[in-house]
Amino acid sequence: MIDPQDDDSADRVDDEPPDEPPDDVQPDRVPPDGAPPSGGRESAGDPVLVADGGFGDESGATNEPRISFYGGKWASTIPLAFFIVWAIFQSGVLGIGDTNGLVIGALVGTILGMFFARGDWKTYADTIFEGMTQRVAATAIVAWLWAGMFADTLQVGGFVEGLIFAANALNVGAATFPAAAFVLCGLLATGIGTGYGATIAFVTLFFPAGVLIGANPVLLFAAILSGAVFGDNLAPVSDTTIVSAVTQDADIGGVVASRFKYAIAAAIPAFAAYLIAGSIMSGVSLEGAVALRESANALGLVHLVSMGTVILTAVAGRHIVEAISWGLVVAVAFNLAFGLSSVSDVLVFTVPEAGTFSSLPFVAVGETAGVGGSLYTGATGFFPLIVLTLLIVAMAQIMIRGGGFAAIQEFLLNSVATNVRRAELTMVLGTATINGMITINTAAEIAIAPYIARIGEKFNINGYRRANILDANTSALGYIFPWAGGVLVGYQVMVGPGGLGEQYGAEMVVNPIEVVPYVFHGWFLVIVFLLAAITGFGREYIPDRISEEVSRA
Amino acid sequence: MSRFEKFLAGWSFRGSTPDYEPGDVLEVMVTGDAGGETVARIGDSTLRIEDAPDDAVNTRIRVAVETWDETAHRGTGIYRETVGGSAF
Repeated sequence: MIDPQDDDSADRVDDEPPDEPPDDVQPDRVPPDGAPPSGGRESAGDPVLVADGGFGDESGATNEPRISFYGGKWASTIPLAFFIVWAIFQSGVLGIGDTNGLVIGALVGTILGMFFARGDWKTYADTIFEGMTQRVAATAIVAWLWAGMFADTLQVGGFVEGLIFAANALNVGAATFPAAAFVLCGLLATGIGTGYGATIAFVTLFFPAGVLIGANPVLLFAAILSGAVFGDNLAPVSDTTIVSAVTQDADIGGVVASRFKYAIAAAIPAFAAYLIAGSIMSGVSLEGAVALRESANALGLVHLVSMGTVILTAVAGRHIVEAISWGLVVAVAFNLAFGLSSVSDVLVFTVPEAGTFSSLPFVAVGETAGVGGSLYTGATGFFPLIVLTLLIVAMAQIMIRGGGFAAIQEFLLNSVATNVRRAELTMVLGTATINGMITINTAAEIAIAPYIARIGEKFNINGYRRANILDANTSALGYIFPWAGGVLVGYQVMVGPGGLGEQYGAEMVVNPIEVVPYVFHGWFLVIVFLLAAITGFGREYIPDRISEEVSRA
Repeated sequence: MSRFEKFLAGWSFRGSTPDYEPGDVLEVMVTGDAGGETVARIGDSTLRIEDAPDDAVNTRIRVAVETWDETAHRGTGIYRETVGGSAF
């Protein structure tokens, strides 16, 4: 295989190659209205090769819309469009980061779209089921359930306290505290896979410790958010990593390995930027005991091994369910062996009255009967996102069956993504735009994923590359803007009932808009991918290598 | 591919017009069916595929490269088998 230097000879929009036939005999292109192509080569047997990659492919019986809408095929976008508007209003305008609220938006949008469907509404209803039963949704759901159990088991096992110990042991001062927070929060987020969870843990414990020793609060909060971006982007157990991989037909371990280069290219300058900014930006003057640092516990660092087990097993090509299961076994064993948590912290059945089984370590007596522990909270914590995912893929399926999906795709392919570089830029900017608007980043990622898949496939861009483009902006922009879900959860820790503001005063509360310029890793990740699309850094094509795991998922 | 190689893959600036040689057997996504010709666009290079099924578009196939023009970044190949479909 030969890999030549880049050239633009194939840009069929701006520079027609000299060997192209005149416009009136150009190969088929799909008209904007999605009608069958009208042009065509004079002779199918002619040895001259087609020039446009054959984008005129969406016509014919295989792509006939199955649902007819009042208002044409664009009306099939109503459910998803309504949901996006709802999501922007809820999360962007009102600043409410509630996934359950988005579920209601999706339900209302789905009902609204039905009123525009012509004829028997049974077809519309059947399409909802058809969408929900797609493999892409099931694969993500399974991975989330496992990842949730693992993440919460690390939390109850004192991983955060271990990281605080590491900061103490390294004698981190005020100037270097933001850089240390970036690295340690990145480690935590990579381990537990949820940037939101890492943000909450670090803003609760690490942020006040840093501010009390003189670190700049704005920079420190931004550094924590940067760490969350790093972990959300790279962790094999991250919800966004999982969605990016399974929607692009790529194995999760391979995606993590291929993503490493982009993450490091952004993280190294971000670390340097935090060191420099930390020495320039002064802290606030606060009197108070640094009692939080007393929570440090070296033993919590054993979960670096739990985390490493998942990462290495996944990268080795094992199924993500197997990888996380091994990590979970190791984490539970460490928790119990080192006394980091009790059995009931991991799993507990609470009964109102003592009985035959109440002596068992996983049975407790309490006021209310129920099941709890890290396995329970970890899995159930993903339930709202799972329901939302099912509804989003159902809405996307309605759009596909109604012809709206093909119409948007044809517009992008015929007018915007006309060569591979423009296609990748379209993918980067498209994910940035949708993530800038829908700030619960996994929801945004699921909504844009089908377009990334189809646009990328039209240029045979490898699934790993597509997954990386999809996830970079999803991870980054979910933690930069003031209305972003990641920023809001951290801010909530500061201003909520009994939050840092009440405990320490107004100096411990950071205005979300102030952190925007300082989420260095997020910004650098966006820049890295813009440059990667332009220069071809990291680009791989489908023939280069084949994903390993998805066929076994 | 070893674990280490997975981390090293893609550390390069890749061109937009990959070239191949006759005899290469590739796994590609069929991207179009224009004017009766089944084609796979790989980056900005184009591979015309002969003997492909009528419904090959948006399927992943194995194809043996027959000819390749490195100047025009275009070639022809023979369909071998269908190995998968679109990711979404």
